[in-house]
Amino acid sequence: MRPDHRSFLALALLLPALAHGQATPEVHGNFSADGQYYNADPDIGAVPPAQQFGANAWGNVIFSMGNFQAGMRLESYEPALLGYPAGQPYKGSGIGYRYISYKLADLEVTAGNFYEQFGQGLIFRSYEERYLGVDNAMDGVRVRYKPVQGVYVKGVIGRQRLGFDDGTTKGEGLVRGVDGEVSISELDSAWTRSWNLIVGGSFVSKYQASQTQLVTLPNDSVLSLILPENIGAWSGRINFTSPHWNIYSEYANKINDPNSKNNYIYKPGQGLLVNATYSTKGLGVSLGAHSYDNMFFQSQRNAPTPFDLNINYLVPLTKQHTYNLPATLYPYATQPNGEVSYQAEVFYKFKKGSLLGGKYGTKIALNACTAMGLDSTAVDLNTDSTRTGYRSSLFAADMSLEGKYFTDLNVELRKRISENWEFALSYLYLEYDIDVIQGKPGKPLVYADIVILEGLHNFNDRTSLRFELQHLNTKQDQGNWATGVAELTFSPHWFLAAQDQYNYVTFSDTFLQDGKTPVAPQRLHYPIGSVGYIRGGNRFQVNYGRQRAGIFCVGGVCRQVPAANGLTVSITSTF
Amino acid sequence: MRAKRSLLYVLIPLAVGFAACDKVTMPYEPVQGGGPGPEGVVRKVLLEDCTGHRCNNCPAAAAQAQLLQSIHGENLVVVAVHCIDGFAAPLAPIGDNVLDSDHRAVPEGAAIEDHFDITFLPAGLVNRVAYNNILQLSDGDWGAAVGTMIGQPTPFHLWFDTLSYGGGTVSTVVKLALLSPVTGDHNLVVALTEDHVIDWQINVDSVPPEMPNYDHRHMLRRNLNGTWGVPAVVGSAQTGDTLTFPYSGVALTNVLNADNCALVAYVYNTTTDEVMQVEERKFQP
Repeated sequence: MRPDHRSFLALALLLPALAHGQATPEVHGNFSADGQYYNADPDIGAVPPAQQFGANAWGNVIFSMGNFQAGMRLESYEPALLGYPAGQPYKGSGIGYRYISYKLADLEVTAGNFYEQFGQGLIFRSYEERYLGVDNAMDGVRVRYKPVQGVYVKGVIGRQRLGFDDGTTKGEGLVRGVDGEVSISELDSAWTRSWNLIVGGSFVSKYQASQTQLVTLPNDSVLSLILPENIGAWSGRINFTSPHWNIYSEYANKINDPNSKNNYIYKPGQGLLVNATYSTKGLGVSLGAHSYDNMFFQSQRNAPTPFDLNINYLVPLTKQHTYNLPATLYPYATQPNGEVSYQAEVFYKFKKGSLLGGKYGTKIALNACTAMGLDSTAVDLNTDSTRTGYRSSLFAADMSLEGKYFTDLNVELRKRISENWEFALSYLYLEYDIDVIQGKPGKPLVYADIVILEGLHNFNDRTSLRFELQHLNTKQDQGNWATGVAELTFSPHWFLAAQDQYNYVTFSDTFLQDGKTPVAPQRLHYPIGSVGYIRGGNRFQVNYGRQRAGIFCVGGVCRQVPAANGLTVSITSTF
Repeated sequence: MRAKRSLLYVLIPLAVGFAACDKVTMPYEPVQGGGPGPEGVVRKVLLEDCTGHRCNNCPAAAAQAQLLQSIHGENLVVVAVHCIDGFAAPLAPIGDNVLDSDHRAVPEGAAIEDHFDITFLPAGLVNRVAYNNILQLSDGDWGAAVGTMIGQPTPFHLWFDTLSYGGGTVSTVVKLALLSPVTGDHNLVVALTEDHVIDWQINVDSVPPEMPNYDHRHMLRRNLNGTWGVPAVVGSAQTGDTLTFPYSGVALTNVLNADNCALVAYVYNTTTDEVMQVEERKFQP
């Protein structure tokens, strides 16, 4: 056991006894494990690892007693599943997260690991997406204080999780930050609780010692950069809420932060987002816009991948689809180096008994979103003594075809037609710059039409069948895809599922890939079958089938998600 | 009054925080060329550039390796390890002569990929030592990582005593002398590389990105003595100990032009994987 872990356990055992002899102790936790046995499958290029088997597992244990709380997460990657995690490797077994926290009156102190967010995260968000393998937990100290009702102050300091090698490894950079927020309705009795104005501001600074950093100019001369060691970012936000409206805006600015993701330029970064939603019974409207410019913010200037050591989180505005084809083939990823994005969404429910509502009512959702590059003017690095890189303005979008990153126009109609049947019909039109988003240079914009039919049939109170039929049509990239999903649920314990993805490209003898290269069309099935059992807080699931390969690139660094064929076993449990 | 006081609670920490910024107005200074390393036996550095012909960002990393070599001269030895199937395997359809070559050294490339958890490209191993807690370094960190080790005193004096090639084989005698006592198990690896292999490469900075005549540098072809080499120091060794490693008639596997080949010998600690000394000998100086 590592010395810091021993100290932590001693503290965790000692402090509650000293602080709260009268309180009742409670222990909670959860556990999750995913194991996969890999088969070779030459048709899809699946190569099993030497160990043949991969397993990711973790368990949380949280001990609480009055105002005291301590917790830890034990993690195991023996070895990690293929393609996991997103960034630096995870291997071995050990403690991945541990903390103690204490709350006294208006002060709350956490020592050890913690997740935290300032505003919507434009300059600071420490979080995890466990199943993606993204975890930038802080290790240090966090203080939250409420000096008066309606005023909230937070301070954080620490280093971020980087990888895992029989325990967490941390990045070199130190992150410090403060955040303040004032909730007017809590301060001023003239405001009611249903009408509120919240204003806030944050400052975050990272420190990393300087190092030798050489760059080559376009004229082949070589420079040794003088690197800033302390890099600050600030943000301000305002949020107005009323019974029908929610309007939020946040602006962030970052000083010179030369790093490997921005080609070591010294241009300040900035970002602005505005969201407004209106909702009333049966109607919801949402409008959003944002623009980011040079906003990669990592605690190490040469973090190996865009997934490592991110200090901030740039909220995506595009719709995050859940259906298999749009979610896994052409998902959009925010481009921190420069992006302008707009989104509009309307939900409406036709009332029961109306012409379009019918007996059970009808729901319709319309969504349109787009993302474009920034319209920028390059500054000649050969002669630019300030190494600014380029000139640009927020929301000045590159309206040319080359500047178009993403467009998604989609409509979903959801209707229950009887006591036992419910359907959802969706249509999506996508324009997807696979060159920028997935880093496949020279590949043309992908134009895709997707139609999805989802159905749900309840045989009785305990048995139901849900199915999806999806089809994607495109002449670019890998051509056409069809997907079928069926899930049979026997409540409360069992479920069965089957899915097949079929990449049939075209039914012609040749496929004009990307509109220019004739290739022999491949026709491949990716079937997966699943069975699951749920009892109490325990859930077991077994899958067998194929997983397709892909290369995903973000910000110029690529990661391979290899093809796989095999048996997957998952267990989750809570207590 | 209460609101103003509350605002102060927020603004004071923010104002204090603003002190933690370094604004750089003159961001660089020119570099005065490269040149040979210092006299005498010093520590040289091995940079293993993990790459692939379908990795569109790898040419920029290779350029960074060349830049560092132009600065550090012979004290920096670069070996390009083509690995990760998705980036290095031939691209279907095979037979169209586009990215059809397989530059992966078998089994060395996959072994390095697996042992050092190479999951993304471009990535580099600098003496197989972590820098800022990271082993698989992005090319932006290579220069700094090299700088922490290059030119340092070393107990390992490594050299090629003889080298001859012809008829599709190579023979060499590698010698290792200890300049001070060494403890711990160390292995010696002798690798074969080929420079200036002209072939396809995807390059994000090229228009079009498919480059048919890309100059692949320092490509690992095979090891002469196994993926992980042979024992050189077992337990400990004393000052003055000299070891000889002869290799005779080893096939120049996959080599296109023997005149562009080189042998790279390196000694590494088998417990930590750290490369302690490296030496390169070109077939044609």
